[in-house]
Amino acid sequence: MALLPKQWRNLTPQQRETRDFYLMILPWLIGFVLFTGGPVIYSFIISLTNWTGMNTRDWVGLQNYVELFTVDPLFGTVLANTFIYGTVSVLLGVIAALGIALLMNQKVPGISIFRAIYYLPSVTSGIAIAIMWGWMFNPRSGLVNAVLALFGITGPTWFTSSQWAMPGLILVSLWGIGPNMIILLAGLQGIPQHLYDAARIDGANRWQEFTNVTLPMLSPVLFYVTVISLIGSFQIFENVLVLTNGGPGTATRVLVFDLYQNAFVNSRMGYASAQAWILCVVIMVMTWLMFRISRRMVHYEHGA
Amino acid sequence: MANKRKLHFSRTLQVTLIAIFALLVTGQVFAQDPITLTLALHWEPSFQPTQEAFDQAFMERHPDIRIEVIYNTWGDHNAIVPTWAAAGELPDIVYTHGSRATPWAAGGICANLDSYIEATPEFDVAGIFPVALAQYQYQGSQYALPYDHGVILLGYNKDLFDAAGMAYPDETWTMDDLREAALALSIPGQQWGFGGYYNGISLAGEGGVSFLGPWGGASFNETEDVLLFDTEGSRAGLEFWYSLMAEGAIPNAADVASMGGGQIMYTGMDAMWAMPSWETPAFHDNAGFAWDVAPWPTGPAGRVTGAFGSGFCITTQSENPDAAWLYLSEYLSKEGMEFMWGSTGRGSPARQTAYQSWIDSELAPEHASYYLDALANYTVNGRPFQSVTGPEIMDVINQNQTLLNAGEISIDQFIANVMEQSAPIFAREQ
Repeated sequence: MALLPKQWRNLTPQQRETRDFYLMILPWLIGFVLFTGGPVIYSFIISLTNWTGMNTRDWVGLQNYVELFTVDPLFGTVLANTFIYGTVSVLLGVIAALGIALLMNQKVPGISIFRAIYYLPSVTSGIAIAIMWGWMFNPRSGLVNAVLALFGITGPTWFTSSQWAMPGLILVSLWGIGPNMIILLAGLQGIPQHLYDAARIDGANRWQEFTNVTLPMLSPVLFYVTVISLIGSFQIFENVLVLTNGGPGTATRVLVFDLYQNAFVNSRMGYASAQAWILCVVIMVMTWLMFRISRRMVHYEHGA
Repeated sequence: MANKRKLHFSRTLQVTLIAIFALLVTGQVFAQDPITLTLALHWEPSFQPTQEAFDQAFMERHPDIRIEVIYNTWGDHNAIVPTWAAAGELPDIVYTHGSRATPWAAGGICANLDSYIEATPEFDVAGIFPVALAQYQYQGSQYALPYDHGVILLGYNKDLFDAAGMAYPDETWTMDDLREAALALSIPGQQWGFGGYYNGISLAGEGGVSFLGPWGGASFNETEDVLLFDTEGSRAGLEFWYSLMAEGAIPNAADVASMGGGQIMYTGMDAMWAMPSWETPAFHDNAGFAWDVAPWPTGPAGRVTGAFGSGFCITTQSENPDAAWLYLSEYLSKEGMEFMWGSTGRGSPARQTAYQSWIDSELAPEHASYYLDALANYTVNGRPFQSVTGPEIMDVINQNQTLLNAGEISIDQFIANVMEQSAPIFAREQ
């Protein structure tokens, strides 16, 4: 302690707590500034240059941003694809996760085994999952079309069809609903039993219990799950790279794939950085919108 | 007595000083660390012992140089090297695919090798195929040197030809012969008369030369700033190949997705295919049927086929460029190429004098000499390789070709799309 400056030694308990707080978070803060904050700011600076990732690096101001919105014929398609994938996959994913969470919330023997089984896909490697789904959607020998054939339906060619590639990717995204299911399950188990008891006394049936008790009480959790999923879905990359490579044509070309293509294939690091910042703004706006909407739809339980 | 003692002291001093000097000199030599050269390569594990053997022999010849090799996967290497460059962490020597030579020379990754080549006449740069050297020249200077320059020939499944009682392709074949045989050897959905280039019709790079050139077409002009798909020759080539696909003689997108690319190639479902020389080791190891190669058939505009290759460059961040050149000049010498790629069958050497070692290797096909004949007489480098916008234009071509392969757009639409979508990219670069 003697090594500390005098003004650091004669501190009030509150000042000491503040000092300790900053000392404790210092390692994280240094890591954040060096490995996250720093690169984030640097990427913005790069976005104002024509850096190739190699030696060419001239200041171009907002030219990359202007080109994205006025010259690049792909960018509109890329944004639309990202938006379609993001919204549809999140909508279906949250509904599916909620449905499974409701099933997993039943008091039946061996339920913890089922919970583990449903969560298990989430711990497998993303690339391995993508390859596996490539096999599942194989037009000729895949399981999906084989099941459809049982009902007399000729399955589509999925990832080689510009009509079916995006629906295929969205279906694949449902494989990763395990974590959301666990969060929603925790939310369901936190709903007080007395609310259901009161609803039953009032004559509510199961559906009314679900719409008037479960959904309102679960709404903060649903909101959290939706926001987090939306942020993740707007950054879809590996499934696109492995399953469709952005095609056929531009049918599944989403923003992060296009960004990767520009940065690491086309050597347009400055342009790709501008795309990354556009993605950041899009996600921020979407999140802000969701918070605005949530004011009317999310029920927070207040009080002691 | 005093003089004697003085003389003795003087001699002792001299001997001591000499001994100290000698110790200092030898100590200096021993204390000096050997130069460490770092190489970034992409060899698969089965080929790494050959690299290690070459490096061991090199280090024995040059005990003051130590070799350290970093192995990337082929797919990652092109993205990793620019990242190293940005971080100032480039190795001394990097594997340089032909498509990367210009971007990496223009981007300051690869160093100009002209002065080294001029100062080392025994390296015999003239012994390297000019078509191969050209791929690594930027603004009139040599920035990398090739080790392999692969040519596309016509590969064929001897078993399927034998079963059908048909004669093997030979040097008399025209594209009409190929069409006739491809249709005769096709069984819809099960067997394809012509598998294409990696199970598809290739419209750019070396494949673009082989698939469009026989009709006088090409994907790019000489300066690589205009696409030529709308020319009469290119259109004729497109129509030839896509009519074969429509007739079930070439696998379409759904066929490839259903069967898996490698499966079609190696399980004998293709009667013929476009066969680059670098693919011969994989066929040797994986193909469960008898196969060989024939010259690329002649088209209405003559016989022409595409070639592409790979090489190495010394990076601008190398701290030991002289030692790096010493290594590279031995690695890419006749003996080096024979040891590394020729005798092992791993690749067709870019030196005429080393080529025979590959033809004689166990992995080369029976008529491998046709590759040498093609290199000497009718090979053109695939484009793009000299423009920095090349990858972007390739992306445009590939996007539209996936639609063409899936039957979602016509040849006319394909041509219109690629011409329109490539225009702003070319314009930006100009």
